[in-house]
Amino acid sequence: MSEIKFINQFEADKKFTYDERIALLRKRKVAQTEEKARNGGANEDDYGLIVQNEFNYKLKPNHENGSIYGYKAWTENYCSILDQHPLYCDPLDAFVGKGFLFLERLRPVDKKWNPAYPYDELQKLFDKYNVISGIDNCHHFTPDLQIGFDLGWGGILDKLKTQRELHDETHHEFYDSEIAVVEAIIRFLSRMAKEIKELGDKENNPELKANLYEMAKMNEKIAAAPPENFKEAIQWMCWFSMLSRTYNRGSAGGQLDEMLRPYYEKDTKEGILTDDEAVFYLACLFLQDSRYFQLGGPDASGKDMTSKISYLCLDAADKINIACNLTIRVHDNLDEEFFKKSVAYLFKNKQGWPRYSSDTALAEGFMKCGYPLELARKRVAAGCHWMCMPGMEYTMNDTIKINLLKTFEVAYYEMMEESEEKSVSKLWEIYQKHLKIAVDATGNGIMHHLKYQSKSQPELILNLFQHGLIEKGVNITDGGANYYNMCVDGSGIAVVADSFAALEQRIEKEGKISFEELTEHMKNNYDDKDGEYIRQLMQHSERYCGGDTLGDEWAKKISNIYTNFVRDLNNQHPGINFIPGFFSWSNTIGLGKTVAATPNGRKAYEAINHGANPNGGFRKDGAVSSMCNSIGAIQPGYGNCAPVQLEFDPGIVNDEEGIKKMADMIRTIMNSGNTLLNINIIDANKILEAHKDPFKYPDLVVRVTGFTAFFAMLSPEFRQLVVDRVTSVNGNKINDAKE
Amino acid sequence: MKTLITDIQRFSLSDGAGIRTTVFLKGCNMHCPWCHNPETLSNKPELMFYESKCIGCGRCFEVCPNGAHKIIDGKHIIDRKLCVSCGKCSEVCYAEALVMCGKPMTVNDVMKQIVQDKVYYDNSNGGVTISGGEVLCNIEFATELAKACKTEGIHVAIETNLSISLENAKCLISHLDMVMCDIKIFDNEEHLKYTGISNSVVLENIKKLEELNIPFIVRTPLIPDVTDREENIEQIADYIKNFKNLIRYELLNFNPLGEGKYKSLNKANDFEKERPLSDGNLEKLKNIAEGKGITVKVI
Repeated sequence: MSEIKFINQFEADKKFTYDERIALLRKRKVAQTEEKARNGGANEDDYGLIVQNEFNYKLKPNHENGSIYGYKAWTENYCSILDQHPLYCDPLDAFVGKGFLFLERLRPVDKKWNPAYPYDELQKLFDKYNVISGIDNCHHFTPDLQIGFDLGWGGILDKLKTQRELHDETHHEFYDSEIAVVEAIIRFLSRMAKEIKELGDKENNPELKANLYEMAKMNEKIAAAPPENFKEAIQWMCWFSMLSRTYNRGSAGGQLDEMLRPYYEKDTKEGILTDDEAVFYLACLFLQDSRYFQLGGPDASGKDMTSKISYLCLDAADKINIACNLTIRVHDNLDEEFFKKSVAYLFKNKQGWPRYSSDTALAEGFMKCGYPLELARKRVAAGCHWMCMPGMEYTMNDTIKINLLKTFEVAYYEMMEESEEKSVSKLWEIYQKHLKIAVDATGNGIMHHLKYQSKSQPELILNLFQHGLIEKGVNITDGGANYYNMCVDGSGIAVVADSFAALEQRIEKEGKISFEELTEHMKNNYDDKDGEYIRQLMQHSERYCGGDTLGDEWAKKISNIYTNFVRDLNNQHPGINFIPGFFSWSNTIGLGKTVAATPNGRKAYEAINHGANPNGGFRKDGAVSSMCNSIGAIQPGYGNCAPVQLEFDPGIVNDEEGIKKMADMIRTIMNSGNTLLNINIIDANKILEAHKDPFKYPDLVVRVTGFTAFFAMLSPEFRQLVVDRVTSVNGNKINDAKE
Repeated sequence: MKTLITDIQRFSLSDGAGIRTTVFLKGCNMHCPWCHNPETLSNKPELMFYESKCIGCGRCFEVCPNGAHKIIDGKHIIDRKLCVSCGKCSEVCYAEALVMCGKPMTVNDVMKQIVQDKVYYDNSNGGVTISGGEVLCNIEFATELAKACKTEGIHVAIETNLSISLENAKCLISHLDMVMCDIKIFDNEEHLKYTGISNSVVLENIKKLEELNIPFIVRTPLIPDVTDREENIEQIADYIKNFKNLIRYELLNFNPLGEGKYKSLNKANDFEKERPLSDGNLEKLKNIAEGKGITVKVI
């Protein structure tokens, strides 16, 4: 288990440069990651969690099933954790703020939703269509940290107390909980400051001792007061990360360069901050947690927000070079030099950062929901595949997945078993019927969640950073947010499109096989006589992303109908805006496990396609342009994403000219209707070796879905999925080389 | 008019400026033993067999009119003496173990693929590269294709060994924005020995490109112990250094990716064991060429 305090680890006369400190901190981070991986790893973000054995919190349930529900229990448990949580402190670091656990994960896995508010009938539909409903899920919207920068914890506490007096007792449960939480936070931060000072007393190295004393002083101040300079602001952000993660993995992020620019400009003007210091502090911020931040992009008026601090953020990420979830918002006026620099770092470091979002597609789409351009531009990258207006909306982003493939399977077998007519048009008719039921059930699920979520898990941290919630005295799910833009993602579009295309081509156009014969093979998982032959026949039909193929036509058709059904939820539930997207997160394996063999030659229970990406082998040349044109064409177009995930061999770029080509490619993809672009640059041989022995390259970072992660942290099953994606890129080339 | 196309590769990054689509024509007048696209040498359709993809379904045996598919010692082989490359077997091989190389296509067929990436060409100063085989063996088609691209406002380049007189290619060249041409070996005897053709036409044609005022890139594939000699690179660089239309000189590191293709065509690969040059050797050759005052790029 990892240590949590690192005192007197260096000679008393040792001096450090910032680069040395970063290198040592990075080394420690890699070792901690390896340790986490050896302890089982996880198929998700890194979160900056520390594995340790000094503190182990035992949940105090308020329900006989062993879980906790409602304001009181969450408040008591959270405050109790903070009162006991030890300090993690590395004197090499500029900041403290590491956490050890998430309260939300201390609950029994299957007891998250308050049983007093059942939804059994909906659950039957969710099971039938394999819908991940998002009911009981938390955070996945973005706080506005500016509120904290302006008020500090003390100011927030004052505001809560003032507002409590202005509200009747129906709101007191909210205020009493929030007040207790903020008081516990201030108590906790004050204790941390004291403990840092005590460590400073013990440290023998004068440089590190001075750092600890400075850290202690800074933390003592910002325990209640708002941060006043660049360094304090980042320290405040580090604690916010830890505090929201400890509660329920809460989201954060935002437009990092703009958030810090006022402090940077003020401090440099006053001569109390150098660029070297700023880069070091930013590197320490990235080390602390893998939060999603956006850089560049247009402000409300369209002016590019790239500034000196944007460049420094890239330089800092380059120095620490771990799982940095940075997104560059591409628009016509984006600083070209900054953009090119970001591309150069992407290919230099090969760690999957940064990624790119399209202002045009996102803003124009969101405006179709009725929002003005100014607000659309405030919707910044904040999660795996999602955007959010900090402090202004509740979204359930990335928590809902409708398994389009399971819905297809239900429709297919209904046609085969109950319909006299067996045809692609009949199947399409039945598919639409079931998809509508699945989408409507999902909409009802969202409404159920909104209605009762505060009885299960109130957002006691993120509530504080929403505009208007403290004034209204309600949890964010209870109608207090400025906007409700609910994210409804479909998963598996490529498999469904390829299945429809294969049926149309092989059965109806070419007459190679009948529905009955194919169904028999599918039921036997293509393992029967001639099964593999038929599987190949179906698999090599005209595929989605092939470029003006039948698969492309079907994908557009499916996207259109899915989008219409999701948008129709707005009519069913006035006041709530439902936004369609296509994404699978790391559910590709789980969603695939519920569906038997499909007409596109996919074998039973294999993973579904990733996000909006095609199935492997979609074209012999694997042309990125073809793939991105097709993904661009199926975007639902209401401001949420159907991301592109690219995998490149490092050899693709080895000079300035190559970087320019990649920059031109990114610009083109972002101007072709696409919303979000993730790029992995991975040597196929290296990843194969790392798959065999993950600890051979413990610092290898890959962009798994929307998030980047240390490859060693992933489960073998998930590593295989990434390996398959990477190796399938050069599938034919590998074949030509090895055959 | 149709011609045999071996491949249309979209999103090609190493066949000229920007993001391109490369169209590979079938048939070449040279027969360089190191060619990493051996399927483009013959101007006739050819059957390629990727053994590892074969699922053993036996459909090819049923449809072959000449009994060319045989099982010998439990192994599926193709008797190339009996195979007439009719393609019937490939039509029933959905596993793509049997693939006919050389698809007859019209300019319109090819253009349908090309135009899909127009926005990529426009944004990256890219375009279309007509390659081979040898483009000059198929001047008529190449000309029509180049013309069609220009009509769409697409930049066009060719990759050529430049070993055929340009007298008949003037129309083609008038539609081109750039030429990428090979000088493989400067010594004429060696050139003749390895490619089967004298390099005198190649060297003359480079002068003609200069006269026609068309920008060009000269390329040398670095073949171990054949073209990668320092003397060869120095002589080539020396020859091209004064051409005003020379964009740059490219040294193409040995590409072993053709190995599987040789096997699939049942052809011997004399360079099977060779591997790409080391970074150190590449740097040395680059420095030699740069010493002549020209821009050099290693690919």
